[in-house]
Amino acid sequence: MAFSVVLSAGIRGMHVELVHVEADISNGLPVFHMVGYLSSEVKEAAERVRTAIRNADIVLPAKKIMVNLAPATMRKKGASYDLPIALAVLASLGVIPKEELERVLVIGELSLSGHVRKVSGILPIVKQARDAGCHTCILPLANRTEGNLVEGIRMIGVSHLKEALGYLTHTLEPEALAGREGKEETDGAAEELTELLDFAQVRGQQAVKRAAEVAAAGGHNLLLVGPPGSGKSMIARRIPTILPPPTEEESMEITTVYSIRGMVDERHPLITGRPFREVHHTVTRAALIGGGAVPVPGELSLAHGGVLFLDELTEFQKSVLEMLRQPLEERQVIIARSHGSYWFPANVMLTAAMNPCPCGNFPDMGKCSCTPSQIRRYLSRVSQPFLDRMDLCTEAPKIAYDDLKGTVKEESSEEIRERVCRARKIQTRRYAGTRVLSNAMLGSGDLEQYCALDAEGEALMRKAFLALDLTARTYHKILKVARTIADLDGSEHIQAPHLKEAAGYRTMDKKYWGR
Amino acid sequence: MMYEYWLAKVRPLSARKKRKLKDAYGSARAVYYIEEKDLHRLGILTKQEIRLLCRKTESEKQLEEEWKKLEMAGIQMIPYGAPEYPQRLTQIQDPPFALFVKGDLPPENQPAVAIVGARKCTPYGEQMALEYGEAMAGAGIAVISGMARGIDGAGQRGALNGGGRTYGVLGCGVDICYPREHIGLYTDIMKNGGILSERIPGEPPLPAYFPERNRIISGLADVVLVMEAKRKSGSLITADQALEQGKDVYALPGPADSPLSEGCHQLIRQGAGILLSPQDLLEELGMERICIMKKSDKNKKMLESPENMVYSCLGLFPKDVSYIIEETGLEPGRVMEALITLVLEGYAREISKNHYVRAEKGPGRKI
Repeated sequence: MAFSVVLSAGIRGMHVELVHVEADISNGLPVFHMVGYLSSEVKEAAERVRTAIRNADIVLPAKKIMVNLAPATMRKKGASYDLPIALAVLASLGVIPKEELERVLVIGELSLSGHVRKVSGILPIVKQARDAGCHTCILPLANRTEGNLVEGIRMIGVSHLKEALGYLTHTLEPEALAGREGKEETDGAAEELTELLDFAQVRGQQAVKRAAEVAAAGGHNLLLVGPPGSGKSMIARRIPTILPPPTEEESMEITTVYSIRGMVDERHPLITGRPFREVHHTVTRAALIGGGAVPVPGELSLAHGGVLFLDELTEFQKSVLEMLRQPLEERQVIIARSHGSYWFPANVMLTAAMNPCPCGNFPDMGKCSCTPSQIRRYLSRVSQPFLDRMDLCTEAPKIAYDDLKGTVKEESSEEIRERVCRARKIQTRRYAGTRVLSNAMLGSGDLEQYCALDAEGEALMRKAFLALDLTARTYHKILKVARTIADLDGSEHIQAPHLKEAAGYRTMDKKYWGR
Repeated sequence: MMYEYWLAKVRPLSARKKRKLKDAYGSARAVYYIEEKDLHRLGILTKQEIRLLCRKTESEKQLEEEWKKLEMAGIQMIPYGAPEYPQRLTQIQDPPFALFVKGDLPPENQPAVAIVGARKCTPYGEQMALEYGEAMAGAGIAVISGMARGIDGAGQRGALNGGGRTYGVLGCGVDICYPREHIGLYTDIMKNGGILSERIPGEPPLPAYFPERNRIISGLADVVLVMEAKRKSGSLITADQALEQGKDVYALPGPADSPLSEGCHQLIRQGAGILLSPQDLLEELGMERICIMKKSDKNKKMLESPENMVYSCLGLFPKDVSYIIEETGLEPGRVMEALITLVLEGYAREISKNHYVRAEKGPGRKI
């Protein structure tokens, strides 16, 4: 029987679906026919595969070649089915023994010359292959390091169709495959880039640094207000350097997202640092939270486990910001399409920066040229519900010359990170067995249990509620932030000093800005 | 009276010409029924203005209705020449043809000062305006101002805090509260003084009306205090008009490098009086006897050490937290905590995110 099956896979959201590539050769008019709910790039595979096979010195017989990609209900996208189609056709021709392809997952794009090009989404696909019981995975050579991140499955990286053929028919000289399988050490050089950023490079700005430390320690969202050139983005960029390093599990999750977007570095596939994604204010909705006919993760998911930075917050389209609200709350993105809904992770620490007024100089009345109504209009571009999601708010003042030239040794990220890690450890222990990971994720229902106040704190908050014009929302946020400050302090209970400091970081209600 | 209302409504026709017309014909009613050719003969008005005057867009019945509505709304009209018309205004070069009033008019025998200044002022200017307003009120002096944002409003709020009378002269109809956020001030002034305008009720605030309204502010006052003004500022127009009207002008000094004090310094150089303290001013005005100054004893109260350090760092110009951290050498967390303590106790105020000023008067005071 001139029929064969090769296992491959496609990405659907964050999930991998295994695809069976079936090929059948029979007598009839010489055609190369492909079915299975294919998008146009998959349909074009027919031409690529035919030419690549010819360029691998194999002549296709003048017979009817039928290829089916199952399950037929799933939309197939991308060029990663080229290699499995080619191998399935060759197997049904008898060039490859069919049993060699059993429990082998194949993936890769073919060029007309027969060379194999790299594809995206390798990490989740290989993981799925292992879980499905495959023992080997044939994939593009350029993707091999990424595949190697998964334990317990053999990676065969190939750069040409002939190599894949050679491997499967055991005709390849062993030295040609040398270095193609097994693992080599991936060094930690990928971290070097992020290591160049350090809080020690930020001069002055003690108040902002402290706020960043608190935000990092509790995973709180942070809003930086300040005149242009005050170092808001400089500080935001350095926040990942004081976050605790991701756990192995988190690293894999982050890398998976990058893998699906095809953004994994060939030499250092595993992302061991926390991502920092800066989004320009012209970003579209689909680019930010993810989208497309078959949705791919957006910037929000690329920042998963790290920091999403929105500079010039007031310049963003209102609808784009509003769309962030739900994902920020739920820490995941769910995109619904008529053919199903897609899930992406989005556990980010949002950091946003904005000017205090259109000219940026408020409240320096000598320099500020804006009228109160201009300031109000400017601030109203960010909605109150969005501001409510910012747990901490602080202002970065203009830097004085003395600060720039200061000889004081600034604290390094390493020192700050140690304190942050200690606070995070306390949180992990406290929230063990719940869905909460950090203080920022506390719901208002959890507050009574975890943020109980003593009599002194109670009295203080009663006073503050009136004096500071707090609302129920700001009150809750102060409690959460105070919890983090207490954790940084190593204190089991929230005390008055913690509450006071937290109150200093509250987001002011818009109506009190600019008076 | 209805015909005076009609004449006041004719726009654009200067107050001077309206007065002349009324003088020439004896009453506004006569002006209403005047023939076009008589006007030509009189030679006060240009052809265009005559056409304007004779157009008479509303019928007498409509006028009467409008007039009744005004009375219902508690708005009085005081035409030039009426016995209630403020004496002080008859002295100025171009007295308004009619004044619309909600509340009372400033009494003739009560001394009055005008407190004017920038709308966009610093907390320093605002605080000073409050204090001067309060002190003037305490000494039994009426405070005249424009109810605008910033200095004007602060001066009038100060007068209200001091339990005195204050009068707001608007650049729009007296039934319109401009700026809108001063609605609380507007109602308070109405109860403890009055809202005045030469504009017809219902007229919106147009930029051109404000310099005109300034001459009424200075005209109603005996002394004009300029708290904060930029080099080019509407407050300087008021000061110039006050000088033309022969009133004394005092200016508040500020930091040499503050653009908002430049106008004041310029005035001082030109010979304006200098405001050293409310007490000093009252002595200059010869009113120190009735002045009851309340010295705040808050400063003497002992504060705990870090709070004390932070407090002494604060001033009436906003300081940001990073600056305070550097100045005091305290931990950022400690400084934040101290600041909130100060805010809760009423010694400090957060005027914009992370910018704090000293507050002298205790918590909960709003302007």
